[in-house]
Amino acid sequence: MGLSSVASNSEGMQLCIFDLRRGQNEGQELDKILFFYPADLPFSTQLSVIGLSEGLITFTRIFSPEAACEVIEAERHSHVFFEAEPDIWMVVIVEKNKEAEAIWRVEGLRKVLKEVHSLFLMFHGSIRSLLEKEPAAGSVRSQLYIFIMDYLSAFEKRSPLDYCCWDFLSSKKLQLPSFRDSLKERATVQMLTVGREAAIEVQSLVRVVESCTGSQSSHSLLLFQDLLVSTTLSPDDTINLFTYAVLRLTPRALSAGLSSWSYLRKGSAASTAVTGPTMGSAASLSEPFHGSRGTSAGDDHSHAVRPLQHDRWSKGRDGFLITDIWQAEPASLVSVTPSIWLQQTEEKMYLCAYQHKSLTFILLIPVSSVINGEQGILAVKQLVLEHASLKMLKVEEKLSKGWGGENAYHVSGYRYLLVDGDRNLSRASPPGKVATLTKDSLLALSKLREEVDIEKSRAKWDNDGHEKDLEICTRARNNAWVISQVTRGKELYMVLENANETLLYASDAVQKFSNRYCNGAFSLD
Amino acid sequence: MSSSDGGDDGSASSGAGSGPVVLGSKPIEDGFSQLRVTDLANGGAANDGDGEAAAAEGSGGREGIAAEVGEVEDGGAASARAGGRSEIEEIGEARVMWRSNSEGEGEAQGSPSSSGYAGERGSSSGGSGIGEEEGEEEDEIEEVRSDAVSDSQAAWMPGKRHVMQDDASISWRKRKKHFFILSHSGKPIYSRYGDEHKLAGFSATLQAIISFVENGGDRVKLVRAGKHQVVFLVKGPIYLVCISCTEEPYESLRGQLELIYGQMILILTKSVNRCFEKNPKFDMTPLLGGTDVVFSSLIHSFSWNPATFLHAYTCLPLGYATRQAAGAVLQDVADSGVLFAILMCKHKVVSLVGAQKASLHPDDMLLLANFVMSSESFRTSENFSPICLPRYNPMAFLYAYVHYLDVETYLMLLTTSSDAFYHLKDCRMRIETVLLKSNVLSEVQRSMLDGGMRVEDLPIDPLPRSGSLLPRLGQGRPVTDSQESLKEAYAGIGGPAGLWHFIYRSIYLDQYVASEFSPPFNTLRQQKRLYRAYQKMYASMHDKGIGAHKTQFRRDEHYVLLCWVTQDFELYAAFDPLADKASAIKTCNRVCQWVKDVENEIFLLGASPFSW
Repeated sequence: MGLSSVASNSEGMQLCIFDLRRGQNEGQELDKILFFYPADLPFSTQLSVIGLSEGLITFTRIFSPEAACEVIEAERHSHVFFEAEPDIWMVVIVEKNKEAEAIWRVEGLRKVLKEVHSLFLMFHGSIRSLLEKEPAAGSVRSQLYIFIMDYLSAFEKRSPLDYCCWDFLSSKKLQLPSFRDSLKERATVQMLTVGREAAIEVQSLVRVVESCTGSQSSHSLLLFQDLLVSTTLSPDDTINLFTYAVLRLTPRALSAGLSSWSYLRKGSAASTAVTGPTMGSAASLSEPFHGSRGTSAGDDHSHAVRPLQHDRWSKGRDGFLITDIWQAEPASLVSVTPSIWLQQTEEKMYLCAYQHKSLTFILLIPVSSVINGEQGILAVKQLVLEHASLKMLKVEEKLSKGWGGENAYHVSGYRYLLVDGDRNLSRASPPGKVATLTKDSLLALSKLREEVDIEKSRAKWDNDGHEKDLEICTRARNNAWVISQVTRGKELYMVLENANETLLYASDAVQKFSNRYCNGAFSLD
Repeated sequence: MSSSDGGDDGSASSGAGSGPVVLGSKPIEDGFSQLRVTDLANGGAANDGDGEAAAAEGSGGREGIAAEVGEVEDGGAASARAGGRSEIEEIGEARVMWRSNSEGEGEAQGSPSSSGYAGERGSSSGGSGIGEEEGEEEDEIEEVRSDAVSDSQAAWMPGKRHVMQDDASISWRKRKKHFFILSHSGKPIYSRYGDEHKLAGFSATLQAIISFVENGGDRVKLVRAGKHQVVFLVKGPIYLVCISCTEEPYESLRGQLELIYGQMILILTKSVNRCFEKNPKFDMTPLLGGTDVVFSSLIHSFSWNPATFLHAYTCLPLGYATRQAAGAVLQDVADSGVLFAILMCKHKVVSLVGAQKASLHPDDMLLLANFVMSSESFRTSENFSPICLPRYNPMAFLYAYVHYLDVETYLMLLTTSSDAFYHLKDCRMRIETVLLKSNVLSEVQRSMLDGGMRVEDLPIDPLPRSGSLLPRLGQGRPVTDSQESLKEAYAGIGGPAGLWHFIYRSIYLDQYVASEFSPPFNTLRQQKRLYRAYQKMYASMHDKGIGAHKTQFRRDEHYVLLCWVTQDFELYAAFDPLADKASAIKTCNRVCQWVKDVENEIFLLGASPFSW
């Protein structure tokens, strides 16, 4: 029984990926499993976790053919489901524990599953297509294992000043987004507010750099610190690349990598610091499965590309970021330019990133348009340096001047999260400010968000053609006002701890905020 | 449970006889259901025949839980009950037997090893449900969106419908809200829709889900899938499950399962658990024979009766003196060895008294009233029946003497003594005489006609302290011209500031008062929607984990809802969605004042069942 072993595993988190089209015959059920964390759980336990998941997917389809099981809430655990690709399911099981602050918002957890899958797509393509290429699934499993473990691992402890806490394996234990993260929204992009003049310069910089590639279908993404300045990608691709950049490419991500330990270098010493089943050494990473799996474990496994690996990016002398993650051949020492898949066009793109101080410029060039591989890329880089490095300097200077620092988007008296669902944008109070809220307020907010999540998903299924319009102002037991407003694809969540007693005061505060910072989106006419 | 013993035999065996024909007409559907059942029984053994067609639909479902059931057993995981697998097998067999001939039915019928009263219950319903036209059914099939059907004011008809459906039929699957009771061995005990015997396989699946999670040291509470929620409640050997695509929150659905369980305890007492201790495969259905109507009317009340989620009761508005008079005569009999004396009109309390130190929980009152009102036999003659009040003492029977004084008003005298019938009959005659003499019964009838508080009548100015809701009682306030004209102005749009409706719950009294529905709540459908909105608000305000909130303002496309929870009372008010916040708040304050002004008439004072 999977659940009993969850209980014995004090960290209480399991994550699995399985394919319902595989292992249909009795005795071959193991074949369904594509990923399981922790990997050292007995197969029988893994199988029973997947058995329950599969059973409930089948059961719920009796009544709800259009949407199968999304969550199982048990007394002590939540099982959150996500159908990543047709018949390929991801399930995360978390233990609930009030004392340990293990209080979860289901949609928050599901977003984690979505995110890791989207990133996987970006680097490897769809799981289904990989399975079709390799029915034995040996290297798919290795890829998934390495990728997800890299995703889950952390290189530093959470700091309240961090803009985005994307990593979960914070030194001792997995820290999935809990009620404390209720004023954050995964799978959205945080933008820098840019003045008119700066915007024009940014535009011209983008034009110049993209023209250096000589290809019509190249794209770019410009970040200042961990904030997006400009993008020419589709919304989905923007989110994915932005997420990756903030994880591994921005100056903050690079410096964090330098100062911290690397489990690869420290080997077993590091792995003991991580409780429970961990990645340990690179060798065990690449061999998560026993031979009995029937996979013809080839050499290539240990050389699966690890785009999320830590400390593998650094800034080169010419300002371009370099990495040895991508290699020309297995085991060779020759690194090649990284490449990713665009979701929108399913096109493969080279990824070049240039960094100047706080500015990170990511350039995507279609692989098909570069004729002589690495040399072609080198030529493009040269062109960029020649034509755009000065412009980069100027843009960086301009943005730095206008930048209000870490607390730039703090609004005194408010703790807020603003989500623009249509444009996948979000803006929130800085984490350091959110951390001043009491636990009671955050719990009430998490609960309210859960309620709104259900209303939203309900509206989606009812599909009445109009979007959910909802306003909830609650005065919690601790007298804080916890507020949610959903209107025309925009969402506002707010906690007012210093508010006066009345509801009118609280609504007035929302109105002022809406008029001043949201162009009146949440104002009543 | 079918509605009567005779009907049970007939319909079941004919169902079995016609089984294969029906199956032939729906090969895919039945194949699917059979596949699951067979899997459950045989631990995923290969299934041939019509299973092929199902493979396409059910896709990978074959191993699912089925394989795992085997696994659990092999692993020797500690199981609270003995031999889970063999029971599932038996259910599988029972189903197979039913499919091949009707002998299985004979076995399932069994001998009702029950006391005589079970038979008495059997006579209470008379199969009103079978073949009934739908009328206003509160939880139509999802896709039926025809307002004509759901808006019709036709009275709700008690009893079970759609008996011929089972889990293979599409229409059964599309029911908006299913309720199931089953035993821990997977035997069906009650299903809101469909014939329990035909749902044996489905029931076994539910059991498998529950025990699978239980064996892992956890307890499944909720499964969510799209619009659907599957809510589980385990009460010892009794499992209760609700499958719903209504918008009700988990907490509400769980509360409804608790009430259904309470209703079952009211009929049988909790000592039924002992039967399961002696024999895990014990078949409970004969014990509940004929009580379909009781459950279906309770389930119906989940969509109109606020008492089901407020855990409070409501009183019929009456002049203070009138209610005093009724209370006095009830008090007399309470002093002569009656545990509780309750006078009710439909679901509203006229008066109630209890013996010293005995307290009556609002949920018990709800369940008792539901039991009495839904059983036809109580209406035709005086009755003396064993009942159990689950919140009072779930282990023991009390005896209820029930007599209707007129079509809607009934007296219930509860005692611990099984041979008190003649004494209680005397008590009743005394009470009836006094009530008739003091005109209480006619006042009750008048009050039923007049109704209660109406939002249009919400006073603009603070009333003099002697305010009354009941002008006809001679204490009425003078109605000013301006008030009259305002009333006209509000006609069709509710009360001042767009107030449409309110519910006020007094915490100390365990009582609530709800305003009458006035336009724009003309239809049952609109009323039900408002009821559900209140229910959602209640769940949102009363979170068990973080404690009750104090105030909530909620605006969506249908309403503005305001909720205010204090130590003394809770107010829920619904306004026009365009209502102004400031004036809505003012109006809420006025509603509270109004309620306080007329509390003598709308509440039963000085007799809170908890306060003795």
